[in-house]
Amino acid sequence: MSDLAIDIRNVVKRYEDHVAVRDLSLQVPRGSVYGLLGPNGAGKTTTIRMILDIILPDSGSINLFGVANTTNGVMDRVGYLPEERGLYKKMQVRRVLLFLAELKGINPTDAARRIDEWLDRFSLRTPEKDWGEAKVDELSRGMQQKVQFIATLLHDPELVILDEPFSGLDPINAQALKDAVLELKRRGKTVIFSTHIMDNAEKMCDSVCIIARGEKVLDGRVTDVKRAASTRHVALSLVGGVQNGVSEVLHDTSLVRKLDDNANFMELELAPAADSQVLLRRLLEAGANIDRFEMMQPSLHQIFLQRVGAQGIETGMSGHG
Amino acid sequence: MDKKIFIVAKREYLERVRSRWFVIMTLLVPAVIAGFVVLMAYIGTRGNASNAVRHITIINATDTDLGQRVANALIADTTLGPIGNDSIRPRVLNVSAADLAATEQRVAAEVQIPNHIVGYLVISDSTIAGKSVRYAGRNASSVSDTDKLLSTVRENVTMIRLQREGVKPEIINDMARTRLRLTSERLNERGRSGSGAAGLFAGLVVGVMLLMLILIHGQNILRGVLEEKATRVAEVVISSVKPESLLAGKVLGVGGVGLTQQIAWFAITGYLISFLMPIIMKGAKLGGAAAAAAPTSPVSSVLSTMSPMVIGVAVAYFIVGFVFYATLYAAAGSMVNSEQEAQQAAAPVMVLIMSAWLCVNPVMLAPSGKLAVALSWLPWSSPIIMPIRMGLTSVAPVEIVGSIIVAAVGSIFTIWLSARIYRVGMLMYGKKPSFREVAKWIRYA
Repeated sequence: MSDLAIDIRNVVKRYEDHVAVRDLSLQVPRGSVYGLLGPNGAGKTTTIRMILDIILPDSGSINLFGVANTTNGVMDRVGYLPEERGLYKKMQVRRVLLFLAELKGINPTDAARRIDEWLDRFSLRTPEKDWGEAKVDELSRGMQQKVQFIATLLHDPELVILDEPFSGLDPINAQALKDAVLELKRRGKTVIFSTHIMDNAEKMCDSVCIIARGEKVLDGRVTDVKRAASTRHVALSLVGGVQNGVSEVLHDTSLVRKLDDNANFMELELAPAADSQVLLRRLLEAGANIDRFEMMQPSLHQIFLQRVGAQGIETGMSGHG
Repeated sequence: MDKKIFIVAKREYLERVRSRWFVIMTLLVPAVIAGFVVLMAYIGTRGNASNAVRHITIINATDTDLGQRVANALIADTTLGPIGNDSIRPRVLNVSAADLAATEQRVAAEVQIPNHIVGYLVISDSTIAGKSVRYAGRNASSVSDTDKLLSTVRENVTMIRLQREGVKPEIINDMARTRLRLTSERLNERGRSGSGAAGLFAGLVVGVMLLMLILIHGQNILRGVLEEKATRVAEVVISSVKPESLLAGKVLGVGGVGLTQQIAWFAITGYLISFLMPIIMKGAKLGGAAAAAAPTSPVSSVLSTMSPMVIGVAVAYFIVGFVFYATLYAAAGSMVNSEQEAQQAAAPVMVLIMSAWLCVNPVMLAPSGKLAVALSWLPWSSPIIMPIRMGLTSVAPVEIVGSIIVAAVGSIFTIWLSARIYRVGMLMYGKKPSFREVAKWIRYA
């Protein structure tokens, strides 16, 4: 039994006029929450669809739980929530769920019991009203999202794949989703989700993989990724603003590579050869009245911008969703 | 075989059979067909003269017994139904030429009394001469009634004139009893094969049923695929079941719905007709000829002309024909994003099936002609053309088996083709693809 829920090796997917995924390898350990980060058009959905055997890679291999993802029955252990969501509109909620559960190999009586549990849990079945008896198009958008989420988890999958799960969710449902993901993790399930909202990824993920233009930019545990970039960033806050001499120091490219002026503090990235102590001394010499000087860990958002931006990917990129 | 095919088929089947439309269509169509058949039969009986022609007065102004003869002939005529009470019998008034006008006036007044005689017939010397006979009555505008009177009078005039020429009365009576009926029977190389009309009817029924199955339920598949695409449910489903299995399940499920509906149509129509026909016929009359002319239930008349072999062949064509078109419809549905685009994408499929249907007439005129034989070898026309040909003429077993094999191979090809289009098309949103792009899908899938 493999320790990896997903093991992708050297996968390539080419379309007529462009390469969607270029020599991508990534490993998702069992029991982890894994974030697939990247700007729109980076190849996230293509990668996910290849994992799910919806589209075939041109080359490379994809294993789930140690066996090829084309193996019979392996998809029954996977739950998938696509970015484009939808259900049979004219069908009764309970029947839609039953159908999707049966497709995952759950027998009808077992499925019926689980459906009731989930409907109760998401308040779709109350003593006053059983929404399970209603047709899908009679439900509000939020309720439909819940039903869709139930459909993803109904067969108690070991691996849950969520493509842009936060898009279109209101803050309450987004929080419910975060809680649900953490609960899955507690129960030893593996969750992989794609997003371009870095804050969510930073809070929820054990590991991340940033891809851009179909290529892996970096991957690893979130703590490792942040530590690797940590010593180069300084949070600086000055009493009385930036005076002339101080400004000169901050724009010295031998010391400071990049300057982000936030509302409350400045975020500096040190130049490759620079020393933070030299910077501090120079600032004091220039007469700066320092309120805060802190070696900081960069946010995933900054790492993302830094690494993906370095490759000149600008279009369609979004930091905070 | 993937058992998920049956889960998909089950959903397609149950969701469609449960729908209000299915119930309405399943009940409405047989009601319309049965109503039509019964109406035609009723009109058929109305085509015969009615009992009213017996309810007349015959004014005989000749010195012969022509009046009484006509009266007797009308009473004896079985096509007018059984004889009722005595009042509904022709009354004969023998008058002299001088009294004719007065008598006619009196009888005409009787006609105007409600529930009295329907009309009166005036027989004069001119009638014996073979020139004219007059009728006046409430039913004078009924062609069938006046025709009946005319033919009865004509027959009897002929007999009186034959008698005058010295022909023996026995010979005349014998001639008067001559009744002819035409029955037709189809012959072929292997001998008799039932009534000609029934054979054609059976073939046409199979052809029409398949056509309707394809048009109604092929369109249903198209719409179903489009719905899965438009509601974006397709991606979840395809993550659980292979597109090929999804396609197969759909064709199976919707085909099952079609078959259920057609069996129901047959059974309900047959029941309605066998239930309604006696009621309608009693309302008319049950003369021997009328009963024989009334169509029997279409179920029995179709089945009676079909041997188990023929039924087996018809079922085989039904299956391959439906699969051929249904998979093409599914592929068309997977290529597009809206109902309007779907109609465009389905147009080539429609052209294929209509081209086959438009050839039915020429094939019926020459069931062994070049066109008929050629169409029997084309997979998109043979399922419709062959049953009709087999109903009309005898087709060599080699030709039947060969044509089924070709049609089956054709269906396997469309399954393969459609599965590839479907696999790519299901997740392709945006503009409608060009033919060049679809060709690419087929190559890359």
